[in-house]
Amino acid sequence: MQMHLERLDFRLQLKALIRKELQQILRDRQLLFLLFAMPILQLFIYGFALSPEVDRLRLGIVDHAGSTISRALAACLVVNGVFEVEESGGTEAQLARKVQDGQLDAGLIIPADLERRFRSGQKTRVQVLIDGVDANTAGIAGGYVGQILAAFNRQLTTGTQLPRELVAPQITFAYNPGLISSWFFVPGVIALVLNLVSTLVSSAALVREKDSGTLEQLLMTPVSSLQILLAKIVPLSFLLMITVFVALMVAFLIFQVPFRGNLLLFLFVSFLAILVGISIGIALAAYSENQRQSLLTSFFVNLPVIQLSGAIAPLESMPEIFQWMSLLNPLRYYVSCVRSIILKGVGLEEIWPNVLALAAYALILLSLSSSRFRKQLK
Amino acid sequence: MRRVFSQVTKEIAQFRRDRLTLALAFFLPFVALLLYGYATRLESKNIPVAVKSYDTGTLSRAYIDTLFATNQLIPARFRGSDIMGPLDEGEAKAAIIIPAQFSREVAQGRVADIQVVIDASDVNNARVIKNCVIAAGNYFARSRDIARGRQLIVPQVRLWFNPGRDEALYVAPGAIAVILWIFPCLLSALAMSREKEQGTILQLYVSSITSFELVLGKALAYTLIALAQSVLLIAASMALFGLRLVGDPFMFVLSLVVFLASSVLFGTFAGTRASTQSAAVQLVATTGFTTALLLSGFLYPLRNITYPLSLISNILPARYFVEECRNAFVRGADFASQLYIPLALSSCALFLYLVTSNILRKMQLKG
Repeated sequence: MQMHLERLDFRLQLKALIRKELQQILRDRQLLFLLFAMPILQLFIYGFALSPEVDRLRLGIVDHAGSTISRALAACLVVNGVFEVEESGGTEAQLARKVQDGQLDAGLIIPADLERRFRSGQKTRVQVLIDGVDANTAGIAGGYVGQILAAFNRQLTTGTQLPRELVAPQITFAYNPGLISSWFFVPGVIALVLNLVSTLVSSAALVREKDSGTLEQLLMTPVSSLQILLAKIVPLSFLLMITVFVALMVAFLIFQVPFRGNLLLFLFVSFLAILVGISIGIALAAYSENQRQSLLTSFFVNLPVIQLSGAIAPLESMPEIFQWMSLLNPLRYYVSCVRSIILKGVGLEEIWPNVLALAAYALILLSLSSSRFRKQLK
Repeated sequence: MRRVFSQVTKEIAQFRRDRLTLALAFFLPFVALLLYGYATRLESKNIPVAVKSYDTGTLSRAYIDTLFATNQLIPARFRGSDIMGPLDEGEAKAAIIIPAQFSREVAQGRVADIQVVIDASDVNNARVIKNCVIAAGNYFARSRDIARGRQLIVPQVRLWFNPGRDEALYVAPGAIAVILWIFPCLLSALAMSREKEQGTILQLYVSSITSFELVLGKALAYTLIALAQSVLLIAASMALFGLRLVGDPFMFVLSLVVFLASSVLFGTFAGTRASTQSAAVQLVATTGFTTALLLSGFLYPLRNITYPLSLISNILPARYFVEECRNAFVRGADFASQLYIPLALSSCALFLYLVTSNILRKMQLKG
């Protein structure tokens, strides 16, 4: 009988605390902004701003030949939109100056004897110079130049319209056939934002009680520290799941990202990621005196966590040491899960190692941070 | 003027007292430089590619050798039954199937189709892989003298300023600009909102200092701190990433100073708008951090930003300074062609200074 009553008490107290917590969060405009406005804002900026597209490179042409072939060559380079002719004419020195000053991205210099050498079957070099500062764009653009000229040569020497090389790779792009860049970034940003929001909101909700001294008042009531902590975690997880839904809606409606996988699996891994985020928040709150301190300390945690997650720059291209370090980063597993589920549509049998790692981190971090926080209360 | 200087001394003394802000000013920017500079690489090297060949001829083996001859692609195990298998497992970024008749077709001068599927969830590297595969095919055909037609017009592609395509030369100068935007404005936002939060701003209101002097003093103090930060960052990136100043030094220093001033003034502005320090930090983090990172051309070319978002980047100081850093450290651009940079930056700084001082002046009258 006694036992039963105690359990009933525990539940009633917890219920009351959760209600109080929810009311407090919903009253706080700063927290509401973090929970719902920030994810939308971030998704918009990331989705529309980040694009590795290689097109519209400003091209300057110095055509010394001024012949049919040289004009056809120039036309070939701009036909698929990679290059746009910004200006033609002028001297080589002027062209070089413009590339150096950043007014042109590329230059094409065609020698005077192009036509004559071509007629007599001799090789001719045309110079293509590309601003290599943006190494990635320059590399891809350089590759295009090679392909365009190879096709141009085949066309000239065989006389057929669209001749194919003998070794002809039939390339299809899986998962994202249109190469839409937001499909790559949006799933990553969902993960990034969820991590950011869950750490900030949970640390704010906990440290506020410390800051304003209401934590002592709570401790004087018959509730236990476990109840205090649970009453923080339960409503926050619930609200953060709504954040996940909001983010998913933005991905669907605005960016038209396809959802190919299992929604339940997605929600489950998102819940694990929320628990990881909340645990980091609890740890931040445990080690900080006030909100300012926890907020500033969060920069020290979130910067490496986000940077080494693969959400923006792919993990595979990082130096090995950073790839090893990223194994310690729970967000890395979530980013990988989210991309696999949303874009690839694969299930648990393919991504179980990532899910397992994420679950392990959630469990370890949650127990470590909550025991630390409860110890502080005693 | 004396009031301004005493304000500067007070700010710096206050700044030095707090260990957390000191770490925020000097330790975290350094960590950020390491993370951005070393761990931000857009293009993958050693991309795993799974090849399955149904052809037993020598030509297909020679083709596969050509494919993996550069260091960009490396062979991966072909797992699963169909071509999507290696991609679904995440073991390979591309899968290639060579048909049984490959060697025969090529030997007879007929077109031999190869099936290639590329994981395009990472759009950028999908393009890199596509280029590699096509280039390997063309090279193979030419080297075996079985190419269609003759390659009479040869492009001689030269990548200027960065012939080795070292991505650090792209990322590191941009990272300097982005970091020097984020941290100075964070620090000055904290300083300004602290006065408001602790109520010490009321003492300033009743003192003889005007709002213009107050903002000038704060901005001067934090610009000095920011200069110290930039010396540290630039020295570190010279040592770590081999950057050298190749542009006009006067132009760079001029741009740097007005850029730092605009960063600090933006922070001061945010500090006057927010009522608490944490609100100020959040304001700076959401408006300053994200925009500087994403709308400044730090990762991808500015022309790729979708309209009308691209308009915002025109009023961002970080966008101009990213350009200046690349000019100064990589391109070595000419003085006259870069004049718009310090001009844009200083008008931005002046605008922020006037707005912030006016807000403070009005609060003073009301309070």
